Amino acid sequence: MNADPYQVLGVARDASQDQIRAAYRKLAKKLHPDLNPGNKDAEERFKEVSGAYDLLGDAEKRARFDRGEIDAAGAERPRETYYRDFADSAGAAHEGARRYESAEGFADFADTDDILAELYGKVRGRGAKIRMRGPDLPFHLHVDFLDAVNGATRRLSLPDGSTLDVTIPPGIRDGQVLRLKGKGRPGLGGGPSGDALIEIEIVPHPVFTRQGDDIRLDLPISLAEAVLGGRVEVPTPTGPVTMTIPKGSNSGTVLRIRGKGVAKRDGTRGDEYVTLRIMLPGKPDPALESFVAGWEAGRSFNPREREKA
Amino acid sequence: MLEYEEFCFRARLESGTLEAWIAAGWLIPAKTEPGRAFSEADLARVQLIQDLTRDLGVNDEGIAVILDLIDQIHGLRRSLKSLSAALGSLPPEARATIQRQLGAARQ
Repeated sequence: MNADPYQVLGVARDASQDQIRAAYRKLAKKLHPDLNPGNKDAEERFKEVSGAYDLLGDAEKRARFDRGEIDAAGAERPRETYYRDFADSAGAAHEGARRYESAEGFADFADTDDILAELYGKVRGRGAKIRMRGPDLPFHLHVDFLDAVNGATRRLSLPDGSTLDVTIPPGIRDGQVLRLKGKGRPGLGGGPSGDALIEIEIVPHPVFTRQGDDIRLDLPISLAEAVLGGRVEVPTPTGPVTMTIPKGSNSGTVLRIRGKGVAKRDGTRGDEYVTLRIMLPGKPDPALESFVAGWEAGRSFNPREREKA
Repeated sequence: MLEYEEFCFRARLESGTLEAWIAAGWLIPAKTEPGRAFSEADLARVQLIQDLTRDLGVNDEGIAVILDLIDQIHGLRRSLKSLSAALGSLPPEARATIQRQLGAARQ
């Protein structure tokens, strides 16, 4: 039991901590008793190996061991039971492990062979007492802004190759999770399937933004439309509509278009709020310049009056 | 049987982790009158999962695969045991025949 831990792990005395860990993992993967349910020697070897790793895996303990302050036995942590002791026993101790036991390893034999069919029935019979709902299956779905506002149907490809048609209800919010009953992983022992949980991520729109059930957008208008008023075409989530801009509208004026916002559950819709932005022509215009230069009322108006106070 | 809190304590498991493991199907608590209950076998299973994640560097995906295979192995072992017990109770003549058949199958 108290063999030299360096020899047990098969590493040099000057091995790095990483090398020691790698050596331990390599051995532990071979020797862990639960990975070797039928091998009694594995447990003894595993104890030895984990004892050695307890000592050398911890740089501080290892240094103390190297200095001779503790011996190889000082670090041993005896462990008495492994999962296999329950899974592989008979009687009461086995009770708790029964529910995990699976006959899937020879389910296909059962179709052809009477004796094995009998055995299969026994193992499965036990399992059948445990009815367990299948786990939920999480998904992440990107939804276009307008699909989220108006509702849509999207097709999801599942890892197993099948597809799932997801109905996106109108007005869905970013981060909302859709639950599709029974579309998750299958249950155990005849239990119901889990649900598919689809988290919705709404892709932003270049023009529209959303505020609850309302849609907001900035609408560029010309100086002429602002001063004289006029009818302009405005995009809405359900297509363009014509809107009247009142005479003398300003940058920042907000106009409401009723019922052109986000679809609500009761069938009505929120509103669209249009913020006007006056745009001057791209190129300097001599006529406009000379007009503004001679325009007394315009020059005496101070739009920053409020900031001064 | 162990109740939820006692189980978390003895397994040194946070309840969030335990819930995640239950949701993943790694642990299946028994349903009892006061609530969910766990056995000593569940405790050993927790220790196995911890060995795999902490010491052996297995990730969550790997755990699911390993547990599934281990559960299958135990199902197979149990069947093999009852099969050999059944064979052991046969008359010597029948056993000899089976042994010959097995030997021939292995060729």
